Amino acid sequence: MSDTIASPSTRRLAREQGVDIDALARKLGRTTISAEDISGSARPAASAGDTSYWDVDHSQYGPVTKEPMSRFAQVASKNLAAAQALIPAVTHHERADVSAIEALRKSWKAEAQARGVKLTALAFHVAALSRALRAFPRFNASLTPDGEDLVLKDYVHIGIAVDTPHGLMVPVIRDADRKGLWQIGAEIADLAGRAQARKVRQDEMGGASMTITNLGGIGGTAFTPIVNPPEVAILGITRTETVTHWDGDTPRPVPMVPLDLSYDHRVINGADAARFMTHYAGLIADPRNMLV
Amino acid sequence: MTDTTDLLVIGAGPGGYACAFRAADLGLSVTLVDARDRLGGVCLNEGCIPSKALLHAAEIIREAQHMADWGITFGKPKLDLDALRAKKDEIVGHLTGGLTGLAGRRKVTTLQGKATLTGPNSAEIEGTQIRFDKAVIAVGSAPVQLPGWPEDDRIWDSTSALELRDVPKTLAIVGGGIIGLEMATVYCALGAEVTVVELADQIAPGADPQAVAILRDAQEAEGITIHTGTQVTEVTTTKATVTLTCTGAFEGQIKAKAVIQSVGRRANGDKVGAEAAGLSVSDRGVIEADATGATDVPSIFAIGDVTGNPMLAHRATHQGHIAAEVIAGHRAALETTLIPSVAYTSPELAWVGLTEAQAKAEGRNVKATSFPWAASGRNLASGGRDGLTKLVYDPATNRLLGASIVGRNAGELLAEVTLAIEMGARLDDIGLTIHAHPTLSETIAFAAERALGTLTDL
Repeated sequence: MSDTIASPSTRRLAREQGVDIDALARKLGRTTISAEDISGSARPAASAGDTSYWDVDHSQYGPVTKEPMSRFAQVASKNLAAAQALIPAVTHHERADVSAIEALRKSWKAEAQARGVKLTALAFHVAALSRALRAFPRFNASLTPDGEDLVLKDYVHIGIAVDTPHGLMVPVIRDADRKGLWQIGAEIADLAGRAQARKVRQDEMGGASMTITNLGGIGGTAFTPIVNPPEVAILGITRTETVTHWDGDTPRPVPMVPLDLSYDHRVINGADAARFMTHYAGLIADPRNMLV
Repeated sequence: MTDTTDLLVIGAGPGGYACAFRAADLGLSVTLVDARDRLGGVCLNEGCIPSKALLHAAEIIREAQHMADWGITFGKPKLDLDALRAKKDEIVGHLTGGLTGLAGRRKVTTLQGKATLTGPNSAEIEGTQIRFDKAVIAVGSAPVQLPGWPEDDRIWDSTSALELRDVPKTLAIVGGGIIGLEMATVYCALGAEVTVVELADQIAPGADPQAVAILRDAQEAEGITIHTGTQVTEVTTTKATVTLTCTGAFEGQIKAKAVIQSVGRRANGDKVGAEAAGLSVSDRGVIEADATGATDVPSIFAIGDVTGNPMLAHRATHQGHIAAEVIAGHRAALETTLIPSVAYTSPELAWVGLTEAQAKAEGRNVKATSFPWAASGRNLASGGRDGLTKLVYDPATNRLLGASIVGRNAGELLAEVTLAIEMGARLDDIGLTIHAHPTLSETIAFAAERALGTLTDL
């Protein structure tokens, strides 16, 4: 007699739908399986269920070594898998003219040295994003887990994804909309440095309005970042490239930064995303817009 | 001439006709063949149904006798064996005729004759070739004939015993399983002096010993002599008697006017030309089939007694439905291991699921709870005698795992516990389900409540 309790009709349903009732019970950590469990499990079981074919003895193909996934990495992988599986995400691609930003950075070089602050392009993005979030409050929001309420935030904190030897960390710049570029630049440098040493405090992470993940210093032309819940969007940045811009008949080289906004479609519609990114690109192209 | 059919079902017993009818309902063209001139197989023609008719007659005789205690006395019953036989045959005829009607309504082609497979997709029936896409072997089983026994008209098997040729003054029954005990019940009531010889240490081997003891006491009280742990070593015949020489718990000779052999049934797998189709048949006549009825040959399925133990009609019926569904392209399989057993003796003995002995053999920790029928109002008020309802359960979860019931209508009562086990019920579920009062079914709830400590009827 099977240790899994299921009525005869439930067992028949499971067989018809190709669900292994004992495996399902183990997966759900239950002894009793009902018909609802079967109908509910049918689709995930088809897409995410059977991973037995992943279990390959790789050494049969050549030499291998094994290293354990750190606890940190295991937690991250669970969260990422859940975010990818549960959020209907769309990625919107945009690019922004960074001529003005580059010019500003150049002209402020002396002052930067004097202040001891490295004014990176990322600092401009943090500043621009925090202003954009004030202009588009639905992007600065979280959906409750039951999907019944949208929580709108009257603060702007920007998460910065930092690549470290021990994994991805996301320290947060608090109240970025009320901070100037110099301060933002200094905080980025401080947090990123401490993240490398794994010295970011727990209270310096979490609670972000939106996260920026910046691959600009490494390369790439576009990517599709995974939304970091409970945030509803994430902004990806890749390497600036010089593109040909046409002023009438005259070609002009313009440095443009590729921008990729992945967003939770339950909260944000495509048109909103396009408006948001147009606005954002405008702030980057002409930073004076951040003042008005 | 060659006929063709989607599905050929060989054997029209409860497995075969259920399979054929289900397949026809699912849209297949079906041919159902049986060597008998009537549908229904052993069960309807010479097994379950005629034996129940005779057991009903036996019960009426016994009940009439017992009414003397109640101040109601009948005369000694007058037996008209021809009329009783005719009544039994009438019931069988009614049911088998009904099956013919059901087959016709479904446009199932029925053929009479012995079918022999000639290949994985062909068979021969009395000289006619038939080609099939799929075949289901449902040829059942036959009573085991013990080796070394003489040929003699007074040595019967269950089939000839149910023909009711006469009521011998003395009758020996070799084999105290369900069939032997039912025959003892019938012939004892009809007036024979019955002796049962069983090789195992208890009658109804495999059933719960506590329940079996109640049945044994009742049968002995009716005048049946029972020798367990006893082997028949020699059978000799004279003009007057058949003599059984016994060793074991009973040493000596039993002289009887007739003997019934009921030492089990043997699968008929070696009687259908299975080898020609590429199938292997065990030396016990069994054709192996999986939970869908599939055999080693993709075009051929097997169901019922021919696939081995337990050889019971209700198992065959379920297997038949499943094979039909699988052949029609559906996903199905026999999911359950719960196959109820019922001896239609007086009193009836019925069991399903795990017994304590089986659980012990499997190393599984179980507990048992029971309710004696001496405390059942409905049982006593209906003239019922001793009886027992016993439930086997998992002490960690209170989940019901098995049941044994001995007493009047035990076979009917068993359905509740079988469903309860299928549904994964706990003793609490049974105790909290309101059972009508006064009924015999209450004994099931009482047994559950006894284990839970909530019983107020004991």
